[in-house]
Amino acid sequence: MSETIGIWVAAIFTIGIYSFLYKENPLYRLSEHLVVGISTGFGIAVTFTQVLKPKLIEPIAAGEHGAWLLLIPAILGLLYITRFFPSVAWLSRYPMAFLMGAGMGIGFPLSMKASVLRQLEASLVPIYEAGMPWDVVVGNVVMVLGTLAALIYFFFSKPHKGPFFGTGSKIGIWVIMVGFGATFGFTVMGRISLLIGRIQFLLGDWLHIIK
Amino acid sequence: MSIWEKMLNLDRRWIFLLIGIACVVPFFTPLGLPILPSQEVVSIYDYMENLTTDNAIFVGFDFDPGTAAENMPMGVAVLRHAFARHIPVFITAYGPLGQGMAAMALDEITDEESDDYYVYVNWEDWASIREQGITDRAGIEEAWIAAGNTLSENAHGWVFEGRDVAFLGYLPYFHLVILGMSSSIASQYPTDIGGTPLEEMPMYQEHKSLRDIDLAVTTAGSSACVAWITYGREKIGLPVAFGVTAVMATDYYIYIQSGQIIGQMGGLRGAAEYETLLLRDGYTKSPGKAFVGMDVQSIAHLLIIFLVVLGNIAFFAGGFNKKTKLKGRR
Repeated sequence: MSETIGIWVAAIFTIGIYSFLYKENPLYRLSEHLVVGISTGFGIAVTFTQVLKPKLIEPIAAGEHGAWLLLIPAILGLLYITRFFPSVAWLSRYPMAFLMGAGMGIGFPLSMKASVLRQLEASLVPIYEAGMPWDVVVGNVVMVLGTLAALIYFFFSKPHKGPFFGTGSKIGIWVIMVGFGATFGFTVMGRISLLIGRIQFLLGDWLHIIK
Repeated sequence: MSIWEKMLNLDRRWIFLLIGIACVVPFFTPLGLPILPSQEVVSIYDYMENLTTDNAIFVGFDFDPGTAAENMPMGVAVLRHAFARHIPVFITAYGPLGQGMAAMALDEITDEESDDYYVYVNWEDWASIREQGITDRAGIEEAWIAAGNTLSENAHGWVFEGRDVAFLGYLPYFHLVILGMSSSIASQYPTDIGGTPLEEMPMYQEHKSLRDIDLAVTTAGSSACVAWITYGREKIGLPVAFGVTAVMATDYYIYIQSGQIIGQMGGLRGAAEYETLLLRDGYTKSPGKAFVGMDVQSIAHLLIIFLVVLGNIAFFAGGFNKKTKLKGRR
């Protein structure tokens, strides 16, 4: 019974969201607001039951050995709430400073390695080697020249004129446009996929006219 | 107003209606268009094929309901593959809503009304087998059958909680959780979401940290997937595979080329390709949701291509490339 009610509620609000395609209306607004509210409420409930309760409240309440140390992050976390009180709002800078400092310290070296150095390494490939298939050679040429051309386009310290900067930046624009085109194609696919998912739900789970 | 101008001023709601029709009709008249698995999906599948009961994987449900249509079939397909091969799976979530998505995926796989389901055996239900000291997968199943349990016709097998799967759920600042799990999974998740201590689980006894894990598959609707590379792959060499939405797919192909991920499922198509491989090898009896949706996707794409071409013909035939302004509302 509860599952049936859930399906009906989901179906009504799915139609409510899609009704925006015709024009904005109260059912759409209600659906939109409920999505935001329920998502936030769900997040708070999960965070409380799985994080705050077992990892903070229960150890302190049980007087576990060393549990008093948990008070430090707890107080730091509570300092965020001072944002709502202008006279002491400056206190919220401390947890933010801690998070930014710790986040940078932990994340920067690994992020540099994962997203910059590894990518640089992957771009430094031999364009041609004996016995290399021709399609790999073409792919390597396109990748190396494409990367260089796109970088030239974003190099603003020199005017984009002449055979190197002028031609290079023009090729760079084309390379970037090809990238945008591929992303647009995938975006269309993604949006249609989301619609298909909802139609499968409406026709299958709700109306039972498809399997 | 010329015909070209009328075409370019077409009320967009007619296009929405056409797309809607194109997305509904193929469900009733399936075309059965072939789905050819791409190399980046085959790589993940083959990697999984080489894993056994002695290995273990992480499946991250790092998305929310907004992208569930794309990400959910990927997560379900990978879980089905792991359950079929008895590969222990730790399930995590980058966000609180992802935990709900993971629960829905498990519900779908264990739904007794489906053609392909697994019987979920709760931790308490096989306590007597553990008390006998049996913790290996084959021994557990043997003892379970000896206790008089049987599978129905549509059931593929049993999933033993704590031996085949541990639902760990969501924790905040998940990148730090990944870092912590590289030392000990139980330091971050002392219990699963049902409160069962990880230390007691046979699968945890054999795989205590991320260093003992053989693959992390992240099904993501945001950049959450990069955390697995940054803090898992680069820190401890954890093999990672992506299941990302189509919108994100082009951004993450670079990680395949650099060898940082073993493969990627991009959008509904990626999920459908994985489902095709599962169907081919008999892991499922019927096509999954993504597979069914691909006919619809193809028809919708044909319609969109047709409309784009038509719009360009109208633009150039009407000479609007030479005019500064198109009359009418756009």
